[in-house]
Amino acid sequence: MASTNNMTLNLKIWRQKNNNSDGKLVDYRVENVSPDMSFLEMIDVLNEQLVKKGEDRIAFDHDCREGICGMCSMMINGKAHGGYKNTTTCQVHMRLYKDGDTIVVEPFRASAFPVIKDLVVDRSAIDKVMASGGYISANTGNAPDANSILIPKPIADEAMDAAACIGCGACVASCPNGSGMLFMGAKVSQLALLPQGSVESPKRAMNMVQTHDVLGFGNCTTHAECEATCPKGISIEHIARMNREYLKAAFTYNEKKRSEGGA
Amino acid sequence: MMTNAVSHYFRSSIGRKHLVAITGLLLCGFLVGHLSGNFLLMVGPDAFNLYAHKLMSLGPLLYVIESALAFIFILHLYLAIRLNLENKKAGGKYQMKKWTGRGITVMSATMPYTGVILLIFLILHLKNLKFGTHYNIEVDGIQMRDLYRTTLEYFQNPLNVALYVVSMTAAALHTAHGFGSAFQSLGLNHPKYSKIIKNLSYLYAVLIGGGFAFLSVWAYLKGV
Amino acid sequence: MGFNLDSKTPTGPLSEKWEKHKFEMKRVNPANKRKFTVIVVGTGLAGGSAAATLAELGYNVLSFCVQDSPRRAHSIAAQGGINAAKNYPNDGDSVKNLFYDTIKGGDYRSREANVYRLAEVSNNIIDQMVSQGVPFAREYGGYLDNRSFGGAQVSRTFYARGQTGQQLLLGAYSGMMKMVAKGKIKQFSRREMMDLVIVNGKARGIIVRNLITGELERYAADAVLLCSGGYGNVFYLSTNAKASNASAAWRCYKRGAGFANPCFTQIHPTCIPVHGDYQSKLTLMSESLRNDGRVWVPKKPNDNRKASEIPEDERDYYLERVYPSFGNLAPRDVSSRQAKFRCDEGLGVGPTKQAVYLDFRDAIKRDGRDTIAGRYGNLFEMYERITGENPYETPMMIYPAVHYTMGGLWVDYNLQSTIPGLHVLGEANFSDHGANRLGASALMQGLADGYFVAPYTIGNYLASTTLEKVSTEDNAFKDAEQAVMLQTTKLLSIKGKRSATDFHKALGHYMWDYVGMSRNEAGLKKAIDGIRKLKEEFWQDVNVPGDAGNFNIELHTAARVADFLELGELMALDALERNESCGGHFREEYQTPDNEARRDDEHFTHAAVWEYTGSGSSPIRHKEELAFENVKLATRSYK
Ligand SMILES: Cc1cc2nc3c(=O)[nH]c(=O)nc-3n(C[C@H](O)[C@H](O)[C@H](O)COP(=O)(O)OP(=O)(O)OC[C@H]3O[C@@H](n4cnc5c(N)ncnc54)[C@H](O)[C@@H]3O)c2cc1C
Ligand code: HEM
Ligand code: HEM
Ligand code: SF4
Ligand code: F3S
Ligand code: FES
Repeated sequence: MASTNNMTLNLKIWRQKNNNSDGKLVDYRVENVSPDMSFLEMIDVLNEQLVKKGEDRIAFDHDCREGICGMCSMMINGKAHGGYKNTTTCQVHMRLYKDGDTIVVEPFRASAFPVIKDLVVDRSAIDKVMASGGYISANTGNAPDANSILIPKPIADEAMDAAACIGCGACVASCPNGSGMLFMGAKVSQLALLPQGSVESPKRAMNMVQTHDVLGFGNCTTHAECEATCPKGISIEHIARMNREYLKAAFTYNEKKRSEGGA
Repeated sequence: MMTNAVSHYFRSSIGRKHLVAITGLLLCGFLVGHLSGNFLLMVGPDAFNLYAHKLMSLGPLLYVIESALAFIFILHLYLAIRLNLENKKAGGKYQMKKWTGRGITVMSATMPYTGVILLIFLILHLKNLKFGTHYNIEVDGIQMRDLYRTTLEYFQNPLNVALYVVSMTAAALHTAHGFGSAFQSLGLNHPKYSKIIKNLSYLYAVLIGGGFAFLSVWAYLKGV
Repeated sequence: MGFNLDSKTPTGPLSEKWEKHKFEMKRVNPANKRKFTVIVVGTGLAGGSAAATLAELGYNVLSFCVQDSPRRAHSIAAQGGINAAKNYPNDGDSVKNLFYDTIKGGDYRSREANVYRLAEVSNNIIDQMVSQGVPFAREYGGYLDNRSFGGAQVSRTFYARGQTGQQLLLGAYSGMMKMVAKGKIKQFSRREMMDLVIVNGKARGIIVRNLITGELERYAADAVLLCSGGYGNVFYLSTNAKASNASAAWRCYKRGAGFANPCFTQIHPTCIPVHGDYQSKLTLMSESLRNDGRVWVPKKPNDNRKASEIPEDERDYYLERVYPSFGNLAPRDVSSRQAKFRCDEGLGVGPTKQAVYLDFRDAIKRDGRDTIAGRYGNLFEMYERITGENPYETPMMIYPAVHYTMGGLWVDYNLQSTIPGLHVLGEANFSDHGANRLGASALMQGLADGYFVAPYTIGNYLASTTLEKVSTEDNAFKDAEQAVMLQTTKLLSIKGKRSATDFHKALGHYMWDYVGMSRNEAGLKKAIDGIRKLKEEFWQDVNVPGDAGNFNIELHTAARVADFLELGELMALDALERNESCGGHFREEYQTPDNEARRDDEHFTHAAVWEYTGSGSSPIRHKEELAFENVKLATRSYK
């Protein structure tokens, strides 16, 4: 943990005032970068310099800075979250770079993710997909005893693998098709695996896919680039499970409107 | 609601993707049949011509089969191209984009291009063979088309052989990704088998691509 | 003015209070619920669960959060687990046990009835979360798995890998999104609450900043639920997420909500040490590491040898030495303090000398590398990613860090603050953890408040209160907005030489040095003085570039820092007034000969509740006396 502040880096960072204006890459130089800094701390240092000069700081999203909230989102040298295995942007450390390196930083892009400012994008499309079915309709107070639903450990583990998604959108940003299949597949798959969730599975798959399409996400052509950049290592096998659920749903799901009158 | 669900299915991304996959797999199946039939070229002119003749004499059934095949091709083409155009719009445009090396492959990245090469190939292929020079021959007392001669003559031109080898490379690339991807798209996938499917995909691509390419070179070397 | 600090605790035996209260509370009939609107600030476990439940009941909910999605609230970061008195492992746990452990863990500075209710509803939480699809860890038979956690002798902690908070929050979030789709919740992301609007003495709305456009927006409602989390970031460096702030709660305080026990903060013993002045936050390493890791420092000050070169007899395994029976598993406050003592003695390790070793050498020797990797593999990986060192070979370096704030806005048994209609849930309130919180009980409290307490007590409030019609055009709204606007203009016009973060860091130093793990009168006075000066400088020398009409992160930061500066002073004042040591509050003047905390039950068995009296004048300290009818006050001992 020796703090040798010895690196100088050349950054090319995307600056864009707002969604309506054009952006461009702007050159910055940051000196005295310590290998122990995180990537975001390196940008903090740059921002502090900008603010002291009275200039507009580089806007970027971040919050937990420990790889769990899914807020941070940067394309570092053309790869989502830097392209390291199971790593979010906030977990990238400067010891991965060398003195004199040039680093290009861009926002997560996709037509479903409009840029808000600089490196900040609007990922509310993810919430909209979730709102269209990413839940189990269990109202508060309805629940039976937790142990009345037995779930085999391997199934619970697989559901947990899928549930680990942090909703960062790196899958969308790195997919050449701007597809949201990985995060959506992870949710559909998690809930389909669990007995509590399988009840609504067909309807869930139908509604979520429909919303996904309307919001401008692309289709999956199995590039698996999403899996490679997903900081939580979510497997595209979950997309396959969703596809299966969807196929089942399309041909078997049947809901008639019935009146629910009563005395 | 039922019809609603089904029609929604055919309009949705995944529904259409299922269709690309199903048609793609059917085409993969056709190629297996076609390749096995074509290997009769190596058995001899009579065997090949008889085989072709048998197919031709299926009568109305042949039209059904041919139209079905044409339909599958066209549907595959149409959906695949549409998906591709939509995806181009949906994906992010970066100043700098690099692949991780753990996801995208040459095969997956070139699907539309290898597909188009296959399309061009197919047009030439049909023009030159199916609708190529018509020779007649008598085998076992039956009059039939000498397709063997048409084919072998065609391959005497090294340029044609080259065209086939290139196209077959494209076919191999297309199916190497397509075959496995189709399973993924249809959800015929299980962690236990995903590796096997992937390897099967490569095996298929090499056998089919290699098989056709081999035949065209063989025909060239065989001479008329 | 003066506060009414009646806790409204129901009478009767402890175990029947909540049932009785539920029976006696007024209810809103289903058809009328849709006529009420409730504002929920925050989408963490507390806010998310409350919003979902209220919407399910039929209320119209307006939900706000500062992140770009409700799913990113800071609750997402909790790793370890959530407690419940299910007694699945059959180790003799019960509601009463959980209640007792929590009261004792809090060093007898919490309200009995609240804690008992918390323990009572803990089981419902697990049921609810399972039914929402939270993939808790299971055993091979398909049953739920439990583990043990610091400060308890039973296994009552449910967990989902190292991501329990995430899974619970995603459960609450999914419930919320379900109601968003049904139109019962209107969710507003990237909105920061800037002020509370009070009409006729009742909380009736809020002013928020739209963080993207910079515009101020007004929202009116029949009640306001504040679920905005803790204020640990007043220390600048803490394990809290960067957006965690005190502003929402602080603005309520300035509108008349009492702030209780602000000095009660929890310092977590196992965090990755600070490595440079550019450090932006601290990372917690799960407490479970102390099950196998041994904590030590060299016996010789300024020992610059590598850890592996220091022979056994020159190492001081100080936790094992001082607390032979609990050893490395001593509770959080105790272990943190001991680490500080060692570093103060010059025995710290690492380049900054502000760290101690957490060594797995013996565990690896005993159980094998694979077993240890199985238990802590992902934590070791996380450690290595951050520090570049491999904990299988060199001992980890750890140091305590600010983690949780037990203090918060004062609430009664109904979770209502001193302002009628303003209810406070989750870490933002002061209610259940006293002077120290046990592991895995914050998640429990947030969900208890949101799922099973507030939905009833809000109904009671709405049904029993006359609520005049209000509109966002009322003067109260205009005035509140005007005040925010004035502050914004002021911040933007100073154009000084220092950044807001610069001030925040300076505040953090005062807080950590004098209002941190160990406090004394002189230090606290120094802190109060220093922070006051800092605040003055801030208002003369801060530089906030840009303007208010767009996405101006520097402006958001500055507004939060302004509030932290005021809160920091109050925390120091509270610590100064509490002349005893208890839980996380350690006053050097009040310790036993062997450096343990010495409570003063005669004078301090109360919650200190601060009342704001204007910017120039000192706040007033009120007391809510805590009555212990069911447990006997005893000295906490872990020897
Ligand atoms: C690293 C870490 C690990 C932890 N592990 C555990 C554990 O294992 N077990 C356990 O029980 N507890 C744990 N805790 C504690 C626990 O996570 C928190 O106390 C709890 O999650 C707080 O929940 P909350 O709903 O009150 O607030 P939060 O989850 O903090 O949510 C606050 C919400 O308020 C919003 N908000 C804040 N300010 C404003 C504003 N001005 N305007 C509008 N919205 C605002 C935010 O956007 C957010 O939605 C841990 C804490 C940390 C830091
Ligand atoms: C014999 C010929 C062909 C075979 C065997 C074949 C096979 C396949 C298969 C199996 C897929 C994968 C489906 C999926 O992922 O679900 C596919 C996809 C595709 N095919 Fe073909 N195809 C053939 C011809 C063509 C032609 C002529 C085109 C013309 C443009 C084409 C274009 C595409 C495209 C664009 C895709 C989608 C890309 C993708 O899924 O990655 N294909 N094909
Ligand atoms: C060495 C390689 C090949 C040879 C020698 C060959 C040979 C032939 C011949 C002789 C015919 C005419 C059959 C008839 O009219 O009855 C034919 C038809 C056809 N071939 Fe090939 N072929 C080859 C490769 C391919 C490939 C790679 C494809 C697909 C991509 C393909 C697709 C077709 C199709 C679709 C027809 C039309 C079938 C029909 O009308 O029934 N061929 N081929
Ligand atoms: S699937 Fe992975 S990449 Fe996509 S949002 Fe979830 S965590 Fe991020
Ligand atoms: S990268 Fe895109 S194409 Fe599919 S497998 Fe992943 S979504
Ligand atoms: S900031 Fe939370 S995941 Fe990176």
